Amino acid sequence: MLKKITTTAAILVVGSTAALAHVTLETKEAPLGSTYKAVLRVPHGCEGKPTNTVRIQIPEGFYGVKPQPKAGWTLGKVKGTYAKVYDNHGSPVTEGVKEVVWSGGNLGDDEYEEFVLRGTIAADLKAGEMLYFPVIQECPEGLKERWIEVPAAGQKASDLELPAPGVKLLQKAGN
Amino acid sequence: MTPLCYKALSLTGTLPRFVYAILLWSVMAAAASAHASLNTTEPRDGSVVSTAPRVIALTFSEPVSPTSLKLTRPDRSTVTLKNFALKDRTVEITPPDLSDGSYLLSWRVVSEDGHPIGGSVVFSIGRPNADAGRTVVDIDWPVRTGLWIGKVALYVGLFFGVGGAFAVHWFANGSGKALRQVLATLGIGFAGALLSAGFQGLDAVGEPVSQLFAPAVWKAGMTTSFGPTVIFAIAALALAGLALASGRGKDARWISISALITAAFALCLSGHASAADPQLLMRPAVFLHVATIAIWAGALLPLLAEFRKGGEAAGAALHRFSVFIPWAVLVLAVAGCVLAVVQVRTPAGLITTAYGIVFLVKLGLLVLLFALAAINRWKLTSRSEKGEPAAIRQLTRSVAAETVILLLIFAVAATWRFTPPPRTLIAEVQRTAVVHLETSKAVADVRITPDRAGEVGISAVIAKSDRSPLDPQEVTVVLSNPGAEIEPIRRRAEKGRDGWTVPDIVLPISGRWRLRLDVIISDFEITRMEGEIEIAP
Repeated sequence: MLKKITTTAAILVVGSTAALAHVTLETKEAPLGSTYKAVLRVPHGCEGKPTNTVRIQIPEGFYGVKPQPKAGWTLGKVKGTYAKVYDNHGSPVTEGVKEVVWSGGNLGDDEYEEFVLRGTIAADLKAGEMLYFPVIQECPEGLKERWIEVPAAGQKASDLELPAPGVKLLQKAGN
Repeated sequence: MTPLCYKALSLTGTLPRFVYAILLWSVMAAAASAHASLNTTEPRDGSVVSTAPRVIALTFSEPVSPTSLKLTRPDRSTVTLKNFALKDRTVEITPPDLSDGSYLLSWRVVSEDGHPIGGSVVFSIGRPNADAGRTVVDIDWPVRTGLWIGKVALYVGLFFGVGGAFAVHWFANGSGKALRQVLATLGIGFAGALLSAGFQGLDAVGEPVSQLFAPAVWKAGMTTSFGPTVIFAIAALALAGLALASGRGKDARWISISALITAAFALCLSGHASAADPQLLMRPAVFLHVATIAIWAGALLPLLAEFRKGGEAAGAALHRFSVFIPWAVLVLAVAGCVLAVVQVRTPAGLITTAYGIVFLVKLGLLVLLFALAAINRWKLTSRSEKGEPAAIRQLTRSVAAETVILLLIFAVAATWRFTPPPRTLIAEVQRTAVVHLETSKAVADVRITPDRAGEVGISAVIAKSDRSPLDPQEVTVVLSNPGAEIEPIRRRAEKGRDGWTVPDIVLPISGRWRLRLDVIISDFEITRMEGEIEIAP
């Protein structure tokens, strides 16, 4: 009985905080038009297996992406054409990195690691909305942990089993 | 006849709104989905082990504490497991003695970050028991009796009560002479509807009568296909009550016909006949059968009351009834024949199965009923309308007898609840439940064979929303039964020539299961397709 009560209390107290078991972004908010340093936090592997590859999809509207190399991991960049033309200090940008892959690593299930990339948040996105960075962890034996779900209208991120990490867009700084 | 048709037609505007409103009530809140992070289990999910495990171990990605551990045994009984120990990230459960057969452990735990998560582990000792449930299960007579009484009472309410309200307004011109009788039958029906929901729950989860007041039992009852029937039946009874309370006039007539339609709709939502193929034929047949029985049966109490209290109104009511009823009986008989042919299939089924014998008994009573009705119609009606006392005396006696016979027919028909129709016995070996799932990204046709509790195979054909081919990377089948508190069972589907399959998965109990396909369309794209399926006992 006591156990039940404490458990219930525990759910009530911490139930509202984000699940620590998910892959998340360290900085949860960023202004439009700013340079954003995305720090991806990977808390565990797949069903107890180590993570060998981390893939992150770059959303449309996040351009000029530069990933940070990581010792012990091979860095891969999948480039492609953007849906729109973005402005980089006056010069138009039409293509760039659309997916970043860190592979060949060995991150134990009982270990923690961060993966970093940098880019610019387009000024013409909408403040108040979320920008999602879907992530896949690949492990031995073909196991994968996918953090790729984006809430549909009326859904909360906490309703999702596999929520994609996201950053909330704020009004452009200085406006 | 003509004004009746006219009224019925002018209803078409208000009726959909009515049905829509009722539908809204029955929408249930969706349960929040869980964040699963189970690493391994011992025995493994879906495995067959040679000897009973001493310990069932669940290992998670982080320390957890269990909030609910329920084991469903091969005989479909459920036991709550309280004997467990926490060892770091592993929950070690010591089960009671386990005999051969299939077990389902439904677990729910809360992790350190506060997220409750749940799932199910299915394992078999010896061999998977597809059939153990059906041979081992004892008939729980008190529950059966309760189910039967509830069903008869529900029939009384829907046929005599709702039909009565219809007759009062359409035949007896809104007369209040039969008010007490009809209200009483509505009350019986209401009690029957409630009782049925509870006993249906007991039957679904296999609990004894002593558990009748457990909320989980009622929840289970309402999640079977009988749940919507109960909701619509109560709505029909309430509408009939409203019609009686509305006095004479157009409004009351409309309400009474809405009640009748709702009642017929209620009964075509569940039951053997409604579940039969072809659905496009069977469901309307049940609807018409029920509606016309209600028109006939419902008229009897008001007519009796009119003649008991005398007056000219009685003759007029009888006249209106006798002009209309041949058409109702024609529809009743045609619909009844369709149902019988589909259900019984072969003449031999009539004498070799319990279902067929119930049908024959009902048929015998029907012959009696039709004989009485024929006497009333051709010998007594015109004389009674003219007010001949001798004829009226005979008619009231005969109508009273009709009422009793109808009651007997309801009592007999209610036993069908316990007899599988020959149709299902013939097709039992390979009956398949089919469900169509759809999201904005994909469509899927899922087949579950056989459609009954035990070991089943699942296959899914998946395509894009525009029906063009889709080649998903991964497909996971997730089955849960919230009504019976069974947490999700997950199985990765295999890609085959004709779509995605899970060859063997054990569904330990019957009832309404929630089915979900998690389809990984491309690396970063997933769609979750949800639907419900009815699994037969």
